[in-house]
Amino acid sequence: MIYGDRNLGVIVQNITGRQGRFHTELMNAYAREVGWRGIVAGVAPGKAGMEVDGVPVYNTVKDALAEHDATASVIFVPAPAAGDAIMEAAYAGIELAVVITEHIPVHDTMKAIAYAKLHDCTVIGPNCPGLLSPGECKLGIMPAHLATRGEVGVVSRSGTLTYEVVDELSRAGIGQSTVVGIGGDPVIGQTFVDALARFEEDPHTKAVVVIGEVGGNLEEEGVRSTDLPVVAYIAGVSAPPEKRMGHAGAIIEGGEGDARSKVRRLSEVGVPVAARPSEIPGLVLELL
Amino acid sequence: MKLLEYEAKGVFSDYGIPIPKGFVIREPEEITAHLQEVGDAVVLKAEVDVGGRGKAGGVLMVDSASAVEKARELFSREIRGVPVREILVEERLEIEHEYYLSIAIDRSSKQPVVLFGDTGGVEIERAAKEEESAIRRALVSPLLREVPAFLMRELLAGAPADIAPVINNLYRIFQEKDAMLAEINPLVTTPAGVYAADAKLIIDDNALARQGIEVNRDLSEREREAERHGFSYVELDGTIGVIGNGAGLTMSTIDLIDYYRGRAANFLDVGGGADQERVMHAVRLVASLPSVKVILVNLLGGITRCDEVARGIITAGVDVPVIVRMAGTNEEQGRRLLAEHGYRMVDSMEAAVRVALEVGE
Repeated sequence: MIYGDRNLGVIVQNITGRQGRFHTELMNAYAREVGWRGIVAGVAPGKAGMEVDGVPVYNTVKDALAEHDATASVIFVPAPAAGDAIMEAAYAGIELAVVITEHIPVHDTMKAIAYAKLHDCTVIGPNCPGLLSPGECKLGIMPAHLATRGEVGVVSRSGTLTYEVVDELSRAGIGQSTVVGIGGDPVIGQTFVDALARFEEDPHTKAVVVIGEVGGNLEEEGVRSTDLPVVAYIAGVSAPPEKRMGHAGAIIEGGEGDARSKVRRLSEVGVPVAARPSEIPGLVLELL
Repeated sequence: MKLLEYEAKGVFSDYGIPIPKGFVIREPEEITAHLQEVGDAVVLKAEVDVGGRGKAGGVLMVDSASAVEKARELFSREIRGVPVREILVEERLEIEHEYYLSIAIDRSSKQPVVLFGDTGGVEIERAAKEEESAIRRALVSPLLREVPAFLMRELLAGAPADIAPVINNLYRIFQEKDAMLAEINPLVTTPAGVYAADAKLIIDDNALARQGIEVNRDLSEREREAERHGFSYVELDGTIGVIGNGAGLTMSTIDLIDYYRGRAANFLDVGGGADQERVMHAVRLVASLPSVKVILVNLLGGITRCDEVARGIITAGVDVPVIVRMAGTNEEQGRRLLAEHGYRMVDSMEAAVRVALEVGE
């Protein structure tokens, strides 16, 4: 697994919001199921002294870390304040920030990621479902019941499409080491390059499924950077140019980043590319 | 959202970037009152959001005597199918040289990238293809408020030094106006100094509110209605309506329709936590497209409650057939509800697409 194991102590920023509260409960249920430490504290300005699902709430990340041993944070802070929340976490000593929030202005994201880097804080997201290492830990909103423990890594720009692929893998008897959603925004903290480098260092990961989509060329860059066997799938082969396909980053601009040329370039470097999600397990089995 | 040229030039001017003297008209006769401000040699530019405007006849070089008549002619034209509602009237610059300048976001390094080329104008793309060094790149940390001097020297190489303040001012605009792209092509030198002869500014859709922009003009009316419900929506040209949750899954659904030689009528991502009302609005919105013959609903996720989704579809009560694939909480209840009301639920995404194609035939 990558990014953390069952010893990982995690806080939730904006734990008192609807999403934060709901997913804290789900993450803690998973913690009890697999013996992970889970969510040890929550942050919500002005709400110190409250409890959410038995988790104590603090005004600031700094206050939470003074009382609890945690190195990761899951951020559910609304978009206008989310960039600041990332910087607060990094400044207070959080080493891994998983940013679920969608619609953060891209300039806020760029600044927060650059600032986090100065404080040696790794950012996953924004606009992502987080990560799930079956049997170890779950940071974010992925449905845990679809995943099974195993040796295939999954890295994706999507949320629900990732669940679809994980479900297909599990049904085919292919377990996962870690499933990580890196986010659908044009600027994201961990790119395919970064996530694949982590998978390469992980002795439990034997192959990786890369799930990309229209926009940018980070899939190709990632695949070229790794020695691990990779199977790819690219969503949006039928997407029209200059239209944003749901994700802020999913847009074919100036004739660049269309899915068909991505598929072609990935195939050129020898990566099997599935035409449909249902083809992924078969291609993975050929690699293992 | 893309600003029109004159709007972008207004912003440039506010930040001290020199722009040609000019004014905007909505009727040909409006020219006369201001013509003396721009002199005898005049440029008329159709303010339409299309690429290759010049080549399509959207830019006219005229003299002041024929300006009204030519403006009338331009107003009556369509530029690549877009009617001309506004014309920017400008002085004609005495151009010595054309440069290229833009600032964009480099996804790979996660920071702004400044691009500067010694050749600008319509030749830029050809120049960039023929010679990679034709455009120089500088990555600038988003934590900085200006382009550091050493990077500025690399960008300009031998170009005139009075371009440097233009680059820094454009960089300030890029940051302060939440731009995804700020471009001056061409940036021209004249005997009177440096000017932004053209201007392009694209504002981050996620920052429109804090930039005081209320309506995203890039969206059609139906797209705006979808946005009000919290949906992401794109119209396509097929007959199969598509509703999914999550951008990737919805895109993948459309691709699968394409794989089986069908055509999707739209892309609609209902977003997270689809409840009865949202699903109802989504189904009605897609059903209102005249081309739609069948609607395919594909929802997946741990927090989607299938009974809620089923109720949303049933209360929408549309005439076109609806094929449903969903997985999540209360799946059995959802299936039963749909069956009671004569809707078909299919287990896998692939099977659902095939059924939708059959029904839509």
